[in-house]
Amino acid sequence: MSPMWGSTAQYEVMHWSWAIAVYLFLAGISAGSIIVSLLVKWNRHERSNSSIWDAMIKSGTLVAPVSILAGLFLLVADLGRPLSFYWLLIRFNPLSVMSLGVLFLLIYTPIVLVFTLLVFERTIVKYTWLSPLGSFIEWVKSLHSYAKTIEYFLMAAALCVGTYTGFLLSALYAIPLWNSPVLPIVFLTSSISSGIAVNILIGLVFFKSTINTESIKYLLVLDLRVIMTELPLLGIFFVGLLYGGGEVSSMAKAALSHGGLALVFWLGVIGIGLLLPLATVILALRSHVYRVGYILTNATAVLLGVLLLRYYIIYAGQIYLG
Amino acid sequence: MAKAYRLIFDENLCIGCQACNVACRLENDVPEGVYRLQVHVTTQGVFPHLGMHFERRSCVMCDEPPCVSVCPTGASFQSKDGLVHIHESQCITCKYCILACPYHARFINPVKNVVEKCTFCFDSRLSKALDPACVSVCTTEALRFGDVSQENSTVAMLSRKETLLFPKAHLGTKPKVCFIPARKGVKV
Repeated sequence: MSPMWGSTAQYEVMHWSWAIAVYLFLAGISAGSIIVSLLVKWNRHERSNSSIWDAMIKSGTLVAPVSILAGLFLLVADLGRPLSFYWLLIRFNPLSVMSLGVLFLLIYTPIVLVFTLLVFERTIVKYTWLSPLGSFIEWVKSLHSYAKTIEYFLMAAALCVGTYTGFLLSALYAIPLWNSPVLPIVFLTSSISSGIAVNILIGLVFFKSTINTESIKYLLVLDLRVIMTELPLLGIFFVGLLYGGGEVSSMAKAALSHGGLALVFWLGVIGIGLLLPLATVILALRSHVYRVGYILTNATAVLLGVLLLRYYIIYAGQIYLG
Repeated sequence: MAKAYRLIFDENLCIGCQACNVACRLENDVPEGVYRLQVHVTTQGVFPHLGMHFERRSCVMCDEPPCVSVCPTGASFQSKDGLVHIHESQCITCKYCILACPYHARFINPVKNVVEKCTFCFDSRLSKALDPACVSVCTTEALRFGDVSQENSTVAMLSRKETLLFPKAHLGTKPKVCFIPARKGVKV
């Protein structure tokens, strides 16, 4: 029975649900996989393959547009009034991180799509119904003297997309567990980690012929470094909250110790998402054998961990309000 | 001249009758199950030293509203008089403002599917120089409303006389709704 003043259900609603967690995950994957593709392209492209594009670049440019478009679809579908989403495009509030995110995505998504067309040019020209794209690709290729500049610009846009999802949450001082300056860095780091994992995964499954073991090794070393950064960052994130005093401390304590959500953090995020990949990466690098089994386990565990981190942060923030 | 609205809730006078809550629902056609205004009543202390605590929950009409700065479409806006309103047609119901509000004053109207909250009854009453519905029905005059910039208004006089507490003042939101805390403490 409701108390005299009526139902208090409206104070307990999870306004941002799993859909937002999955969106944050997909946006992170997209940005991460493009960042990783560009890093491979800039640092690991001296080897000649059957294709001019390394498998890591191919998988990045395949994953990035698919995941960002799927994420955006989910984001719009999760609005209370999905059909009114156009207001996001015709209004701009520079103080709103959500509005800034729309701006970044409007810059980022088209460049990613063009990058994908260029990488998959040979596949696209095979299909006659895609022929209009052929002339567009030719036109884009005529701009090749600007290629490096556009790549730097894309890198900057991807860094913005990977980071803004953190600022989106950290901007809200009403929610103690989100209102941390470390959160955007945590999200960016785990985005890069998921980018590495998804590129290796898709590369192994779809583009085996153009796989370059050197670039896999490069990515595994990078992955090791990213995990070794993310672990202490998560530590700093929670230590910062625990030292925050008052309800911030008590909310952080509760989020780390109560119920199934704490289990999601310790088992999912830390155990499966960080410690297991750390162990497999170290094993793979030490034995110098890039066994498919190891690498697939690593990539799947990393992706699951990154998704669970987004899920945990979204829900813990809204449950432990203080 | 711009108004400086203030709503003062005197905990000492409130009896928890919920007339304000009901008047708000009727005036603003608030759908079943959601509330723009509630007065939560709790008994504190240990018998026989008991006391009642009344907590009024609604939008506090911040001068520095976090819900306005986070709104990506400008649907949540602040008027010249500092009141925070919502353009229903521009609200995409992204729920960002609901999460940004430290007072948990916003909710989704399940009928219109847009974000809603207290408006001080702006359209139906305040714009016609009438007090908000909750104030007008308060049986014990625990709610007082007016313009503090008018020296002789009740709220200005009360503000000079009483100790006012502004909810979550440390956040710097500068609410227009404040309260006079209970003078009788509960001994534990």
